Amino acid sequence: MPRKKRVDRRKPRAKAAPPTAQLAKINVKVNGVQYSAEVEPRMLLVHFIRDVLGLTGTHVGCDTGNCGACTVIMDGKSVKSCNIFAVQADGAEILTVEGLARDGELHPVQQAFWEHHGLQCGFCTPGMLMQAYWLLTQNPSPTEEDVRRGLSGNLCRCTGYQKIVEAVLAAAEQMRGQQQEVR
Amino acid sequence: MSSEEEILKRFAAIEQAREFYIIGKKVSRVDALDAVLGRPMYTGDLVTGDFLFVKAVRSPYAHALIKGIDISRALKQRGIEAVITHRDIPGENDAGSLIPDRPLLAVDKVRHYGEAVALVVGSGIETVEEAIRLVDVEYEPLPVVKDPFEAMKPDAPRIQNRDNIVTHFKIRKGNIEEGFSKADIIVENTYKTQFMDGLPLETEVAYAFPEKDGRITCISSMQNPFDVYNKVVKILGVGPEDVRVIQAATGGGFGPKSDETPIDIAAYACLAVKKTGKPAFAVFTREEATTVQSKRHAFTIRHKTGATRDGKLVAWKSELVADTGAYISKGHLVIARATFHCTGPYEVPHVWADGYCVLTNNTIAGSTRGFGAPQAHFAAELQMDALAKKLGIDPVEIRARNILRPGSLTATSQRIDDAGLEICFGKVVETARWHQKRREYEELNRTSSRIKKGIGIALLYHGNTLGPEGEDFATVHVRIEEDGSVVVQTGLTEYGTGALTSLVIIVAEILGIPASWVRMERPDTSAVTSSGPTVASRTTVIGGRAAADAATQLRGRLAEVAAGLLGCSPDELVFKDGVVSVGGDRRRGIGFRELVSEASRRGVELRVRGYYIAPPTRWDPETGQGAPYNQYTFGALVSEVEVDTETGLVVVKRMTAAYDAGRVINPLGLLAVIEGGSIQGLGHALTEEIIHENGVVVNPSLHGYIIPTASEAPEWIEPIAVESPGRIGAFGAKAMGEIPVVLPMASIANAVAHAIGVFIRETPLKPERVLKAIREAERKER
Ligand code: FES
Ligand code: FES
Repeated sequence: MPRKKRVDRRKPRAKAAPPTAQLAKINVKVNGVQYSAEVEPRMLLVHFIRDVLGLTGTHVGCDTGNCGACTVIMDGKSVKSCNIFAVQADGAEILTVEGLARDGELHPVQQAFWEHHGLQCGFCTPGMLMQAYWLLTQNPSPTEEDVRRGLSGNLCRCTGYQKIVEAVLAAAEQMRGQQQEVR
Repeated sequence: MSSEEEILKRFAAIEQAREFYIIGKKVSRVDALDAVLGRPMYTGDLVTGDFLFVKAVRSPYAHALIKGIDISRALKQRGIEAVITHRDIPGENDAGSLIPDRPLLAVDKVRHYGEAVALVVGSGIETVEEAIRLVDVEYEPLPVVKDPFEAMKPDAPRIQNRDNIVTHFKIRKGNIEEGFSKADIIVENTYKTQFMDGLPLETEVAYAFPEKDGRITCISSMQNPFDVYNKVVKILGVGPEDVRVIQAATGGGFGPKSDETPIDIAAYACLAVKKTGKPAFAVFTREEATTVQSKRHAFTIRHKTGATRDGKLVAWKSELVADTGAYISKGHLVIARATFHCTGPYEVPHVWADGYCVLTNNTIAGSTRGFGAPQAHFAAELQMDALAKKLGIDPVEIRARNILRPGSLTATSQRIDDAGLEICFGKVVETARWHQKRREYEELNRTSSRIKKGIGIALLYHGNTLGPEGEDFATVHVRIEEDGSVVVQTGLTEYGTGALTSLVIIVAEILGIPASWVRMERPDTSAVTSSGPTVASRTTVIGGRAAADAATQLRGRLAEVAAGLLGCSPDELVFKDGVVSVGGDRRRGIGFRELVSEASRRGVELRVRGYYIAPPTRWDPETGQGAPYNQYTFGALVSEVEVDTETGLVVVKRMTAAYDAGRVINPLGLLAVIEGGSIQGLGHALTEEIIHENGVVVNPSLHGYIIPTASEAPEWIEPIAVESPGRIGAFGAKAMGEIPVVLPMASIANAVAHAIGVFIRETPLKPERVLKAIREAERKER
């Protein structure tokens, strides 16, 4: 699979709003790459990820923290990146959907969504993938009920969640298999 | 045999084939891989470099005169480049998707809450938002017309310069008085459905930029690029070659993205570019989208239904009133579809129906997946259960005595020619083990005091594609590149249903090549001709015919070359597995790719435009009698629920759904729409409701407007595909995209009635409402 070139995007992609407040300097590691940037204190993490770093896989579906399209992993926890200011991520390590595939290989969660048709329009998918990824790090052998509950902060309007749940359960099995191979 | 004859012959053979090469096999969505990788594909991902933000100043009133707009304070703000009002629109101030009753920017009056009055353009969204507060609009509030019955009164304030009643749509079949005189029992009820939002997860978004030659290119999220393009050209007052509209990957459609708001958002971005010469970006917040997006019409339906003692329907009288909000959008068509379908899929000899589409000061209602059918079926199907209850027979029994079978006449006296409904009905009753469950639950409810279980059924017919709603045509362009890869491009769009994958499958089937050799190109108004709107579940049915036409033309051209090379006649050729051979004998064959390069060497043109137009449909506007649709999709849905009688909470445990897809072209796409539509319908039934208070939307957010999560979805949806080929669709396909959203409201409401013993005739079935119904029933019993 073609792999996205790792460009160091230290340079802000889009010009942010004219300064109305003191800019704050932040250092964050995103998908293994260290970035430092000056941001407005009111800038949301999701806008930092999308507009400054140009990682547009993280989506925005609401303005109230309800949809989960913006879910990323920050210091090992799943967070809604529209609920956090970029400055709060100073010093943190973040994983977004673009960082899931490694060395040209889909992560088992991605593979499972792709194979089990866990998406239609795809807009909720990156957030779903990140939430599923996190869910499986917390609970490698979830029941269907666990998966449904674990994903209930992520809205999908196209699918009936059935295929999504199937995909996450399949990914769990696949990952357990891989673990055993390692042992 | 001439190549044209060969085409026709092959086409007929392919259409009738039992065994398909690719059709009906699982083929993945073409762009799903990009989505799981999080690659940039949606409009908001494609914005680069410097750009300006555009955002609308919106009315806080549902009905008010505009006395003045002062933009001077906003203009002085640092970072603000322009403030645009109706005076600055270079072309026509008309953004109505079909009927020119809606200005892009209000002129002297606002007619609904959130109506756009001005646009602010500047750098940085925060700067723009601040400046919006500095645009001084002087309003003089007018009385708000809150509901359609108020609006229908002769002395009601007028919303527009016209009567508030937009359409009075009629059905007159047989003789209604005579019908009722034959009835042994009569049931009369009033049903009410709520305003709902289709709510695609991606909100309206557009990115426009000037090209070097002065043309404006606009990338946006929408179902109908040509509607958007035509309107933007008019609004900007420019020539047709001065604008180009491209559909980016679109995060859900469901109707709203075929209506008013995609025109608005594209026009905002393009106007800003025209005014400033710089790239501009516009995106709705969720709150904006939920406020101004076209809603599903709120309906009030009064039914009076008569039947004989043995459960035969004899007369049905209906009045349907749809609240279309302040502008018509597609309301006049929605009321027609709802009225056409108002008796449900049953044969009734005498029908009298009046459908009214009415203007109010609520926000706009327009296209939403199902287009009036969910409301019509909700009322009709509850009415059938009420009749069954009164007659003391099973809901399945009353349906069995009245459903549309081959030879039956619909409410418009159109003859039904296939058995799709009978088959779907039989399958769900059997698969869901209806009779056994019905008994089991009744027994259980006698002893269980808190949790009551219920099982309900609803049946559907759905007039296919546009019918009375517009010109039902499609064009699909197909070309074969020199390397043998095939490219399909059309103005029809993909927004998650996988419908375009069906076109790929059809092209691959006819050319006898793997689907992976076929690729789709994004709809671009400068590259393809209009293909009509992507609505009404048309893509597979009508678009599929155009794709088949294109592929068959190409096949004919290739067959001529191959016949010469292989020394046979074109009609002996078999196209399969990427090889063109004589009678399927691969030793006497040529590889598809090799054949393509030979054909291009000989200068054979391998670029064609496929076209299809459905036969026009006819009915009498005074009586509604005739054949308004070319074919019908049928379906049946059984829902099983649990009701907590202490909290009023309804949980849907299981759904069994059978749909007659005519011919399953794309099985994964079909499963996807069944599953997704069922859950969307479940949301409509239980929780979703846009609440207007004095015209103001009070819950425009995802915590105020509740859509189902993975936890609310039933444990299992059993999908059953039935194939009873239609008259016009590609390979017999029938419309499916919208269908699964139609029945859940009806089927769930009937299941709840079974569980608690009373009908709730108003949606959504939220806990308060269910609890109230239970308490009232208890009081009556006492
Ligand atoms: S964008 Fe909806 S939760 Fe973050
Ligand atoms: S696939 Fe469209 S929102 Fe989930």
